[in-house]
Amino acid sequence: MSTDSVVFAFSKESAKDFGKKKRINRSAKLKQCKLDARREQWLSQVKNKGGKEELVGGGGSSISSMPVNLLGNSEAKSRGKDIERLSLNDSDMESSINSSIHSILGSHDLCKDSVGSSRGSSISSISGGCYCESGEEEEEEEADDDDDGCADDWETVADALTASDKQHHSNLGNSVEIKSPVVSTASKSVDKGCEVDGLKAQCDGTVPRVTAKGHAWRPDDAFRPQSLPTLSKQYSFPMNAERCCGRGAGSWIHSVVSQPTSCPICYEDLDLTDSSFRPCLCGFRLCLFCHKRILEADGRCPGCRKQYESAKGEVVVNGGPPPFRFTRSFSMSMRS
Amino acid sequence: MQASRARLFKEYKEVQREKAIDSDIQLVCDDSNIFKWTALIKGPSETPFEGGVFQLAFSVPEQYPLQPPQVRFLTKIFHPNVHFKTGEICLDILKNAWSPAWTLQSVCRAIIALMAHPEADSPLNCDSGNLLRSGDLRGYQSMARMYTRLAAMPKKG
Repeated sequence: MSTDSVVFAFSKESAKDFGKKKRINRSAKLKQCKLDARREQWLSQVKNKGGKEELVGGGGSSISSMPVNLLGNSEAKSRGKDIERLSLNDSDMESSINSSIHSILGSHDLCKDSVGSSRGSSISSISGGCYCESGEEEEEEEADDDDDGCADDWETVADALTASDKQHHSNLGNSVEIKSPVVSTASKSVDKGCEVDGLKAQCDGTVPRVTAKGHAWRPDDAFRPQSLPTLSKQYSFPMNAERCCGRGAGSWIHSVVSQPTSCPICYEDLDLTDSSFRPCLCGFRLCLFCHKRILEADGRCPGCRKQYESAKGEVVVNGGPPPFRFTRSFSMSMRS
Repeated sequence: MQASRARLFKEYKEVQREKAIDSDIQLVCDDSNIFKWTALIKGPSETPFEGGVFQLAFSVPEQYPLQPPQVRFLTKIFHPNVHFKTGEICLDILKNAWSPAWTLQSVCRAIIALMAHPEADSPLNCDSGNLLRSGDLRGYQSMARMYTRLAAMPKKG
């Protein structure tokens, strides 16, 4: 939802810019009309729904101030081009924004055992609902464009993971700066009321997207103290959902942030697969090799000394929040 | 075999790095055998063992860290959970409560904690355990202090 409003505000800004240049493009105008209509529709939807929605909307509204920067950034790139191109860019930008979200989600997947995969679908359906039919069309268009943006962002994510050169991030840096406030506001709104009601789906939709975003940018932000508190809040949300203890959350962040923690048993560094491997509910993590060795021996978790259960995955699925549990059990069956 | 060796090497490095931090524990690896370690631990303060330095002998099995290391006191100590003659230690984490996440260093810490908090209900040293169980804390402390002076402190003169 939050990113939707980003898109809206952004396209609005860009449209204003055309006016400034006194070369109003017809297609741009048409587009603007369409967007305005959609926006109104969306706003009315927001009004119709209760306080929950307003919370989410609040997150969105505070976000809408950000895109000015975002625009400034992207404008600098596209200013040299002629207007027709710009008007095309209108949709291109949308797609690139969304694609970056997708790709970030993708990175989230990597770190979190494709937690997002099931969520991703729910997100797209939700945003489709917000947009009405034309919005859905666009999403489909964007799906085609996704590839390039994805590839780029994957590279940056990979860079972030290795965290060797910060120079690489500088090109992404601006958008990073812009997005992190978005994250905080949205996560706040989520914290307030994402419990058990009909709107849960929508709240949920924002959560993984948002956390995923914060997630992917972590390598940069780790050194920015002012954003840390909100981040910990963010992280605590999915971790609570997983019923992992605080220690688990900490180590999770660590493993994501480019310096992989080492396996506490063999002291070898955890690789990407290992760092998303959670064999026990207590949150104790170890590498797959050690896990196997322990299973061959007494089969007790080194963290809580309880017996590892081979069939635990299925049991867990029935218990907790569906998406997380499901993917987790999935990873279990893949690996053990 | 290889895993335990690798892990012990890592622990060795860790010990070297943290030497300055934990001054109560000195872990030393045998020069020729990485499965044999000795440790010097300081008796915890406000216990009868204060001021004493106790030597521990570690014998690490090849299945380490899945199997706990065998530890015993080389220094005589009057403690309900330490065998007076052999130095064997009755400590759950060295037996069934062992976890591979423990290290030799953390075992040392656990032993220091055990020295400060004797468990009189599962005594290896019955004399010591009986003193505590009968409520003769003073008797226990003076005995323990005596043995600390005799065995764990540098001889004067």
